[in-house]
Amino acid sequence: MSATAVTGLPPVCPRCRAATVDLRSASPVPGVWSVFGCSTCLYSWRSTEPDENTDPEKYPAAFRLNPADMPNLPVIPTIPPRRTPASTS
Amino acid sequence: MAAYKDLREFLALLDAQKLLLRVNDPVKLEPDLGAAACAMTKLGEGSPAAIWFNNIAGYTDVQVAMGVHGSWANHALALGMDMDAPLKEQFFEFARRYQLYPGELERVTTAPWQEVVVDKDVNLYDLMPLFRMNRGDGGYFIDKPCVISRDLDDWDNDDVENVGVYRLQVKGRNRLGIQTVPQHDIAVHLAHAEERGEDLPVAIALGNEPLITLMGATPMLYNQLEYKMAGAMQGQPYRVVKTEKGLDVPWGSEFVLEGRVLAGVREPEGPFGEFPGYYSGCHLYPVIEIDKVSHRKNPIYDAVYVGKPWTEIDYLQAMTTSTPIFVQLKAEFPEIVAVNALYTHGLIVIVSTKTRYGGFAKAIGMRVLSTTHGLGYAKIVIVVDADVDPFDLRQVMWAMSVKVNPTGDLIIAPNLSENLLDPACEPGGMVSKMVIDATTPISPDTRGHYGQELDKPQGTDDWGKKLAAMVKDLQK
Repeated sequence: MSATAVTGLPPVCPRCRAATVDLRSASPVPGVWSVFGCSTCLYSWRSTEPDENTDPEKYPAAFRLNPADMPNLPVIPTIPPRRTPASTS
Repeated sequence: MAAYKDLREFLALLDAQKLLLRVNDPVKLEPDLGAAACAMTKLGEGSPAAIWFNNIAGYTDVQVAMGVHGSWANHALALGMDMDAPLKEQFFEFARRYQLYPGELERVTTAPWQEVVVDKDVNLYDLMPLFRMNRGDGGYFIDKPCVISRDLDDWDNDDVENVGVYRLQVKGRNRLGIQTVPQHDIAVHLAHAEERGEDLPVAIALGNEPLITLMGATPMLYNQLEYKMAGAMQGQPYRVVKTEKGLDVPWGSEFVLEGRVLAGVREPEGPFGEFPGYYSGCHLYPVIEIDKVSHRKNPIYDAVYVGKPWTEIDYLQAMTTSTPIFVQLKAEFPEIVAVNALYTHGLIVIVSTKTRYGGFAKAIGMRVLSTTHGLGYAKIVIVVDADVDPFDLRQVMWAMSVKVNPTGDLIIAPNLSENLLDPACEPGGMVSKMVIDATTPISPDTRGHYGQELDKPQGTDDWGKKLAAMVKDLQK
């Protein structure tokens, strides 16, 4: 299904401000809302949400994510080493 | 006992009992759905808890249900009990049935959720009415699913198949993040798959009758299958359908997503407003790719509002948390009377027990920490005497007030494992834990002066009956 945006594609992600935004979905009733997603921080939002979820200037500082910090987030659960061919369990 | 064939049947029951609010006015996905569900949790005990929306902006035929488990009345009905059943009665009945394990599965080959199948160009944003629950959530979460997996090392062993309720963040059209903390059974399946370098097949069932969700939220033993427990709890076989991959899925589900947890992949996930009343923060969590979505015609989307306690999730994690601790303790210590782990998913646990000798209650408290629940949640354990009702916090506070001498009744054990969602963790996943012995010291523990406990005047019970009858007459 190809979605049609209600508004133009936002230039940056409200949360991490990366310019990696794409259109994910549009309302089945045409023209009501669009859903956008950021492929950098994986945030998603709807065009009709309150400003603090859609506007980078109003996005709460406590919830912002800096792409540079993402590789340092805790890994849960840790990835176990691959078994060697001889091991059985 | 009762066996509801699907969510629709249970919603119809709630409706008939005037326990379901139907919102027919137009609403927006955000912030209305989360706001209304949050407001429902603040109406107070005795109010309906379940809410239903069918006039959602942008849709013509979507239905969203929330609050299905959100009261003691709903919890009782989910178990097929009288909706007025007192809390303690619900605990003992839940625990009684839990010990009837195993029940049976009924395997059938077709289910209503097979009506519509999408197996190419899956776009979850199009297929489900996803919405943000709390303002700081990092996206749209499927937060009341049953996630089904098997152990790749032991594929045909039904007993180690797992059904768990794990939050899922929709991060792409067919891409989900999954929270599998190390204490969860699916983490064992994932570890085995990743050691083998293979993806882990999963099925995700959403919109279920209320019992299997309770079972998925219960930290039962690794080799106990939730469907067999559901069969025991409802007194008749639990009906499931196998997916092509061989995963058992509830017959009654509204949506079934099939996919794979990608071996060795972790991506940013979160935050999500979680049960401790705090956002979870962001972590690098495993990732699921969805290959196929099946659903009923006009499916019902089911979600749980999670906020600062108490909200629906606190009912969902109440008896399901208390019972396994009780059963595990009771197997070794018949003196155990009851366990209350209702508060904040049992980060605090109250155990009432008879005591054999001085120091016994402390041993019970420490044993709580090594139950399946204790490994990841129980942080503060309060042990009270057998004559203290752990579900009556007035009695518990009395015991704490007078039975505890801190120099001799506290044990603090440093750096134990804990669910990373507990904001007190330092670092995440590690916390110190405490046992508070609020039982009466007995020999050879001779501390304190407990020889002259108050009892009732002679004839109090007779007077109680007489006065209760008079009150009844007064109210006629």
